[in-house]
Amino acid sequence: MKTFKGGIHPPDMKELVNRVPIVDMPLSAVFTVYVQQHLGAPAKPIVEAGQKVKKGQLLSEPMGFVSVPVHAPTSGTVKAVTKQVHPVTGLLAPCIAIESDGHDEWVQGIPRQQDPFTMSKDALLASIRDCGLVGMGGATFPTHVKLSPPKDKVIDTFIVNGAECEPYLAADHRLMLEDPERILDGIRIALRILDLPHAVFAIEGNKPDAIALMKSKATPEIQVEELKVKYPQGAEKQLIQAITGREVPSGGLPMDVGAIVQNAGTCAAIADACLRGVPLIERITSVTGRGIRTPKNIRVRIGTPLREIIEFCGGLQDPAKVIFGGPMMGIAQYSDQISVMKGTSGILVLTGEDTNISSYAACISCGRCVEACPMGLIPSVLSKMGEKNQWEKAGQFHLLDCVECGSCTYVCPSKRPIVHFIKHLKALQRAASAKSKGA
Amino acid sequence: MIAAILMVGGIGAVAALILGISSVTFAVKMDPREKAVLDQLPGANCGACGYAGCAAFAQELVRNTDAEMTCPAVKGETLQAISDILGRALGAGAPLKAFVRCKGSPNATQNRFLYVGPQDCMAAQIMQGGSKACQFGCLGLGSCVDVCLFDAISMGEDGLPHVVKEKCTGCGKCVAACPRGIIQLIPIDASFAVGCSSSDSAKDMKQLCSVGCIKCSLCADICPFEAITVSRTSAAIIDQEKCHRCGLCVSVCPTGVIASLEVPAKARIILEKCKGCGICEQICPVNAASGTVKQPYTIDEGRCIGCGLCIEKCPADAIERVSS
Repeated sequence: MKTFKGGIHPPDMKELVNRVPIVDMPLSAVFTVYVQQHLGAPAKPIVEAGQKVKKGQLLSEPMGFVSVPVHAPTSGTVKAVTKQVHPVTGLLAPCIAIESDGHDEWVQGIPRQQDPFTMSKDALLASIRDCGLVGMGGATFPTHVKLSPPKDKVIDTFIVNGAECEPYLAADHRLMLEDPERILDGIRIALRILDLPHAVFAIEGNKPDAIALMKSKATPEIQVEELKVKYPQGAEKQLIQAITGREVPSGGLPMDVGAIVQNAGTCAAIADACLRGVPLIERITSVTGRGIRTPKNIRVRIGTPLREIIEFCGGLQDPAKVIFGGPMMGIAQYSDQISVMKGTSGILVLTGEDTNISSYAACISCGRCVEACPMGLIPSVLSKMGEKNQWEKAGQFHLLDCVECGSCTYVCPSKRPIVHFIKHLKALQRAASAKSKGA
Repeated sequence: MIAAILMVGGIGAVAALILGISSVTFAVKMDPREKAVLDQLPGANCGACGYAGCAAFAQELVRNTDAEMTCPAVKGETLQAISDILGRALGAGAPLKAFVRCKGSPNATQNRFLYVGPQDCMAAQIMQGGSKACQFGCLGLGSCVDVCLFDAISMGEDGLPHVVKEKCTGCGKCVAACPRGIIQLIPIDASFAVGCSSSDSAKDMKQLCSVGCIKCSLCADICPFEAITVSRTSAAIIDQEKCHRCGLCVSVCPTGVIASLEVPAKARIILEKCKGCGICEQICPVNAASGTVKQPYTIDEGRCIGCGLCIEKCPADAIERVSS
């Protein structure tokens, strides 16, 4: 079975939700949509308080190529252009609060019928951008940018990421089981944009039902590939290594080895955008963990408040940590005054038993992190440099190649927050390079 | 035996000869003054002068006759000694000291979450913007203490860094190390400074912290010298050039956020010199001076705040500071 070098085997905990069908989250009274939900240049709000908006209406306009807009999740009135704690940065960030009118009416012209196989590639990319598509695995990189590689890069492999290697999460799994045609449509559209004859649909072996279903539904140009169950199998570079055997060079991008990877959820969104012009205003999210009473997979509008989702899932029991994303790479939240974003692949509530809040000890140089690192780095050395703020030296140890998957931190017997040290070094390096650019 | 002694001795002699010749031919000519200046510099290599360490700065001072004394740690006797070595008078830069613009100890300011990661302020700041609820609050993990080369900052029991004025050279390392930018350099003799830099509105700030500046502007209103500016989006700032150190601001501040760093000596009238003009009575902002015209005036020490206005204005130079 195909896989990559390194990695770990955490308990996958997916049984909490992987057999629970997706349910629609009821509409909230008030949605708060963050203006910045993607990696890249910011977007500018274009609505004002008091303005009436319809579902799917543009709320912001992108500033620059690597930028996408956000759309109204339902019809109603803009209550305010305000600020709310951002789940990724933890700081107050601009957001648009929309009071629902309960009618949930589409803006004129959406949804519409269009045939992506007669449209030009540029028109398809424009649709994808205008619909605000970002990578829905969590990294939120604008999809249209990923699908427009520079001319000098030869792309020969398109991989659809159905690995969902993060423990606990089953949103992509459920989507593959319940809506396979949408994903397959999206794959075919992406193949047309990239001018490629076939795609590889990679699914981790712990989802045999999804693999079987996809194999039966897939047309010949889509080859379904089973992957070994190992974390981080769904990390872009590891996935490429597993499927093609190619290693993305240090500091490089997947396109440097001729590969483009899209998440299965993103492919479904591509189908919505290109077939019906429907913007990205909802997603599938796993609300799971032993700290939530009834774990569910929900189809939720972007901007739905966390508090209402928790209520919808029966409330909390002995909660210790609320995480947006999975337990390995997700971000712990301190406030319930936040809302779902395009990249929220899961809402995980861990109990006191599941978490280990303790201090860390000195590195004993056991080398377990070195074995686990899927990028072939030496996390132990980087963590020691992190303690001493030696970001320059860490650069020589390929600091920037770390994908922050958390495998090293997971295996560390000294409980060292290695990824935190590495993020710290990266922040120091960024600050220094920003300073030298400014000077 | 003898052969061995001769052999080793011979190698030694040849090596000595080679070393002797090369020490003359390849000698690096160094101005002896560079060494002398270097000996006077603090040797902490902090980089505050703008050069790559003390040696580089000593070289610059000797070689470039226009080079100025930019080392913040050099003053007084040391400055004189270096001037003597160089044979030109060097002006001292205005000496500065570090001041931490936050009084929010863990008891006074709320935390948003429990932080258990690396004990470093920068590392804490990247975790959801730091655990201290106020974005202008000291994270209290002591990155400023770690970078100080002069051992001038220590963490107090209140969880906040404290600057030892005598040791601080004003090099600014801590200013750069603080991820929240709350450390500021102020003149070394500054008496008062505002221990808060929050630009949150008073209402927002008050929800997070009980000791921050509430922007009431009482200090700005009472300041006789218009040295304090405060607005809705900026905590009070004392313009140290305008400050006369009267301390009125401290007395009116309802939250006690203004720190008294150096309490100035009070004024006293030299009775023999006083002509009884009464200017001191008119000028005194706290009505400490009193008396009758053409009789020697007196200053009530209990009221005097040591602002020195009367000393400046007295036409007879009859007012001095009480040396304590």
